[in-house]
Amino acid sequence: MKIWRFENDKQYDVMVRPQNNFFIRNILHYYVNWIVGRHFHEVCFEPVEVDPNKSILLIANHFSFWDSLILYIVCYKLLKKKFYVMVREDTTIQLKYLKYGGAFSVNKNSRDMLQSLDYAAELLNDPQNLVLIFPQGKLYSNFVNDIHFEKGIAKVIEKAEGKFLLLFAATFVQYLKHKKPTATVYLKVEPNAGKSFEELKNAYQKHYDNAKLQQTEIVI
Amino acid sequence: MIPERSNRLIKKLFAPYLAYRLRKAFKVLKHNEVKVLPGHSVLLLCNHFSWWDGFFAGHLTHIYLHRDFHIMMQEDHLKKRMFFNRVGGFSINRKSKEVVESLQYTAQLLDNPNNLVAVFPQGALESNHTEEINIERGIDYIVKKIKGDCQIIYYSAFIEYFESLKPSVYFHFLDCGTNHDFDFEKAKAMINAHHKKALKEQVNAEH
Repeated sequence: MKIWRFENDKQYDVMVRPQNNFFIRNILHYYVNWIVGRHFHEVCFEPVEVDPNKSILLIANHFSFWDSLILYIVCYKLLKKKFYVMVREDTTIQLKYLKYGGAFSVNKNSRDMLQSLDYAAELLNDPQNLVLIFPQGKLYSNFVNDIHFEKGIAKVIEKAEGKFLLLFAATFVQYLKHKKPTATVYLKVEPNAGKSFEELKNAYQKHYDNAKLQQTEIVI
Repeated sequence: MIPERSNRLIKKLFAPYLAYRLRKAFKVLKHNEVKVLPGHSVLLLCNHFSWWDGFFAGHLTHIYLHRDFHIMMQEDHLKKRMFFNRVGGFSINRKSKEVVESLQYTAQLLDNPNNLVAVFPQGALESNHTEEINIERGIDYIVKKIKGDCQIIYYSAFIEYFESLKPSVYFHFLDCGTNHDFDFEKAKAMINAHHKKALKEQVNAEH
């Protein structure tokens, strides 16, 4: 059964799901590759070893519109999985084409959130998939020290326990000596995926601090 | 040492072109206000983290500080881009004995209240995330040698993206007083405290 919600006399489907369209997905793929290549001097990441028989849950910091695009490139070049990303509902409504690139919506303030979290866990059942979630829930500065975690991520992990590989990503953008910025993604596989919320938060924070320290120490 | 050979016409033509290039590359350049003293030259200290820093300083001088722009550049960098010599660039070579000459030349420029000299006190390209601003002793030497009135202004610049595809730059200005009441250690502590505060404020920046 489809549930509908009414807001400002407009009718919205409760949840925006990814759509499969071969042409649009390909156009988006080339567009993302082109626009990231044009804007950035370089996108740096170190290879990590991942189990091909497991899906991936990617947790990352959120400071700009670019980070899902950067991580899309990382997914395509390194992890070689089908990309899905959890996006705020208002963004998916504003940018309708995102659903063809693997976006599904979440609305923190409504009861449909559970539906979105269930859907994310469902996607993780297929070993071909990668689900990207920004646990911060909104845009924060690139200079934050403490990463805020929303509770929902624990539900996804609980639901899909054992079927996926937990991967942490911390992204930083710096200019340094080039005219165009360089994006650096620090990746780390977290072996104990079935952790409690607090432990997960601390583990990510540790990885983030470590990555930030490496970025801070750059002197040319 | 290469002294500056700025040309009024080239400077006049370069300013709008620079504004255009910055507008194309960045979404907004936001800065806070400090009290700029009239009749004082300005020694502008900036944090050095990107290719764009010199252009930021030049643009801010043009739109906000309203002085004649000069900038201290590394000698090998200036030699590769001699055009900047025509818009106010002069050289410094930290490894040679001429370093004192460059510092004296800076102080001389600052004797004139219409001038502004931008200096990167870190002396190297450092990460934008750094919490410590290392200030080289040369700044102390320059300020002591100035004979006229000079105001010392520092800013921390940070680059952020948020919703936009284009980056925005946030400048946090600090007034470090004039050359008459300058104390190197005190100024260093003040700048570092300001930088840390600016980093904290940046996290809560409106977007």
